[in-house]
Amino acid sequence: MKNIDTSRLKSIVGEENIKTDPADLFIYGSDSSVHSASPWVVARPANTEQVQKIMAYANQDKIPVVTRGSGSGMCGQTVPVKGGITLDMKKMNKILEINPSDVFCRVEPGVVDDDLNQALKPFGVFYPPTPASSRIATIGGEIGNNASGVRSVKYGATRDSVLGLKVVLADGSLVNLGARTRVEATGYQLHKLIVGSEGTLGVVVEATLGFVPIPKFRCLGIANFDQLEDAGKTVADIMGSGIVPSMLELVDNVAIKAVNKTMNLGLPDVQAALLYEADGMVKEAVDYEIEAMQEVCRKNNGFGLVSSYDAEERAKIFLGRKKLFPALSKFSDLLSSTSLADDMAVPYSKMAETARKIHEIAKRNNIIMTAYGHCGSGCMHTKILMEPNRQDQWESAKKAVSEIYEYVRSVNGTTSAEHGIGISKASAFKLEKSDSLNLMSNIKRAFDPNNILNPGKLMDAHDDWVTATDLRYMVA
Amino acid sequence: METRPFEPKHLDKWKSNLDSCIRCGYCYEHCPVFKHTRWESDSPRAKLIILYGLLAGKLEPSTYIADKIFSCFHCGRCVAACSSGVPLIEVFTDAKRDFKGTAFEVSGTTSITNSDCAACLTCVRACPHEARDFINGKIVTDTVKCQSCGICIDICPNNAASSCLSYGTNSSALKNEIGNFLEKDTSKAIVFGCNWSYYPDFQSSKMDRAPSEYKILINMCGGRLEKTLILEPLLQNGWGVLVACCPDGDCEHDGNVKAKLHVKALRDLLGQMDINPERLQLVQIKHGDKAGFQKAIDTFMETINKLGPLKQ
Ligand SMILES: Cc1cc2nc3c(=O)[nH]c(=O)nc-3n(C[C@H](O)[C@H](O)[C@H](O)COP(=O)(O)OP(=O)(O)OC[C@H]3O[C@@H](n4cnc5c(N)ncnc54)[C@H](O)[C@@H]3O)c2cc1C
Repeated sequence: MKNIDTSRLKSIVGEENIKTDPADLFIYGSDSSVHSASPWVVARPANTEQVQKIMAYANQDKIPVVTRGSGSGMCGQTVPVKGGITLDMKKMNKILEINPSDVFCRVEPGVVDDDLNQALKPFGVFYPPTPASSRIATIGGEIGNNASGVRSVKYGATRDSVLGLKVVLADGSLVNLGARTRVEATGYQLHKLIVGSEGTLGVVVEATLGFVPIPKFRCLGIANFDQLEDAGKTVADIMGSGIVPSMLELVDNVAIKAVNKTMNLGLPDVQAALLYEADGMVKEAVDYEIEAMQEVCRKNNGFGLVSSYDAEERAKIFLGRKKLFPALSKFSDLLSSTSLADDMAVPYSKMAETARKIHEIAKRNNIIMTAYGHCGSGCMHTKILMEPNRQDQWESAKKAVSEIYEYVRSVNGTTSAEHGIGISKASAFKLEKSDSLNLMSNIKRAFDPNNILNPGKLMDAHDDWVTATDLRYMVA
Repeated sequence: METRPFEPKHLDKWKSNLDSCIRCGYCYEHCPVFKHTRWESDSPRAKLIILYGLLAGKLEPSTYIADKIFSCFHCGRCVAACSSGVPLIEVFTDAKRDFKGTAFEVSGTTSITNSDCAACLTCVRACPHEARDFINGKIVTDTVKCQSCGICIDICPNNAASSCLSYGTNSSALKNEIGNFLEKDTSKAIVFGCNWSYYPDFQSSKMDRAPSEYKILINMCGGRLEKTLILEPLLQNGWGVLVACCPDGDCEHDGNVKAKLHVKALRDLLGQMDINPERLQLVQIKHGDKAGFQKAIDTFMETINKLGPLKQ
């Protein structure tokens, strides 16, 4: 452990909230990404004051600090590349206020998304950004990554729901950003800048979040396609038609095959399937939107159209999509599902072409990739299935990833839609944002002159993600 | 006792499973050990990361690590929740095999027997996992076979069986929690919930305002609640006690049958003492029926609020 006074940290948070055993440090050195690097110490603050004291100490001694929610990030955001203190925020998990008349709630950053929604339910409202990982993702982590989910097509990403933040800055001072109002035009909207900053600008200690009414009616439908292009065109046509679906998901043939192979679900072996949902307070309005979307599907050669309002039926329709993740992990004993090039976004009109391109690049590089995602918000997910113990597979993955991002940039897409940049997407991010990187570095310096907050990420990350840290696999 | 060096012989075959764990953390909220400490290092995912560290030579074996590996109630919730289909319990059991007999072997949540043992062998006969044996005049627990179910602890007439680590589920920890909660003016009731059936569905973030009138305390099985512990809340000025256990036929070791008998006897006793027996109730909740559990609690609290405090 380098130059760190653990007794000082112990005096701030109490001995029982400090971990220094190599096993603990190793555990806190990884997240859901391919990376691994241990912190020097893990500290678990219980309140804002403790966070302030830790930051003041770290800033004075120039010790790196990595803020961590549940560590479910997929690109190494919480992997402490430069060691230092990992701040485990899970103890700050209180829902401070639910204010139905002012339509906001205030929470500490360690509150788990599903818990918040459970607490909001009796008020007839929900917090909408909800990533697929909502059962473990903390609000702090969602803010860090600007997380979004299946319903973001209608309700927006985390940034759209954050009204205000209390943030402890690198020097330990506390700032109150944003307001408790729906709109604000009072200078720079710094709270919005904190969202998506991956713990590099400050430690969020409280968030004021907006919420929306739970719709009375939800209807989910599915359509199958023999041509991926047709499914892609359907997405663009739906989004261009003025309909606002509450969900629009694409699943490609590799994904369908994976689900059928490992889960025996017997889904039709088609080139692509689209899941579409509409919600609202008036059934006729929902009917109208579902029918309009089905009409677009039919026009683009969609078939096997089924839809339902019934919760159980909807769960059945969604099952294939839901089982996709485990299906990919179980695809083969030899192959592991890795989070690489996992969440780019492209313009709607490029959706199908992107999916095709992904398969073409995968094939050329001898790996398996699948394409699926919240295409209603422009997001395309992939997973790379590979043998992680073979060095040559990493070379192939690296090449494939770089080719995919090159293509994404060529169609004016973006490197990350929701999972963030961290380490593994940093090189693509730097290429995409080359003309504003300097500006971003200046902003980072203004917030954190000693570069102690999550160093080695975003613009500071290594250009070669394969060697940036140890990989979490035993590579021969 | 002679020890052998630690070698990850049994673990070795799980290498590819350790790779296929995508480290999503979906297991956290299902694990009673994690929920008690809220340290990531106590989650099932952490156990897999440690085992990977041992296999990859990135971590040295230690009693600290062994303590984590031997701390598991075998509820299997992590296996059911795993996105990658990793058979975690099997992996942990093989890890225990590798630690057994080394200088690092510990007992964790598995049961141990102290010198009060009268060698009646009741526990040996009762153990559903054949983990207890009588060797050289002593009761010995096979820490690999032991699944920390606690039946031996419950059944021992001399209270000679216990586990080193209980993660808040043993009687003294529960008693402490009862005392701490009922100290507050706003507290009214204790709900005992069984880990196997409902606990996994409860998350951990807390509402700051409106302190709850009741507290759910997790135990390993309704049948393992001693009668004195069930009555403890009433002795500590609580207004009522709700014991939740599995439906008939669902409990592996008929703990629910025992819980029913205990509660019935105690209700009779309350009646004899002129205390309304409705202050003590038992509900049987289907596995994972979180809505049903909440409804039962709400109905119970309605009754309790009508009855008012015990001492008026
Ligand atoms: C199976 C799976 C599915 C997923 N699905 C989605 C999805 O649908 N959509 C999506 O957007 N993401 C998804 N993710 C990625 C990830 O789970 C989310 O982005 C989630 O919001 C991260 O939350 P966390 O608490 O785990 O954050 P962490 O991983 O712990 O942290 C994420 C970032 O936030 C920062 N951070 C955490 N707390 C604070 C704080 N208090 N102050 C400042 N910075 C902080 C960290 O430093 C880090 O940079 C998925 C991940 C997995 C494993």
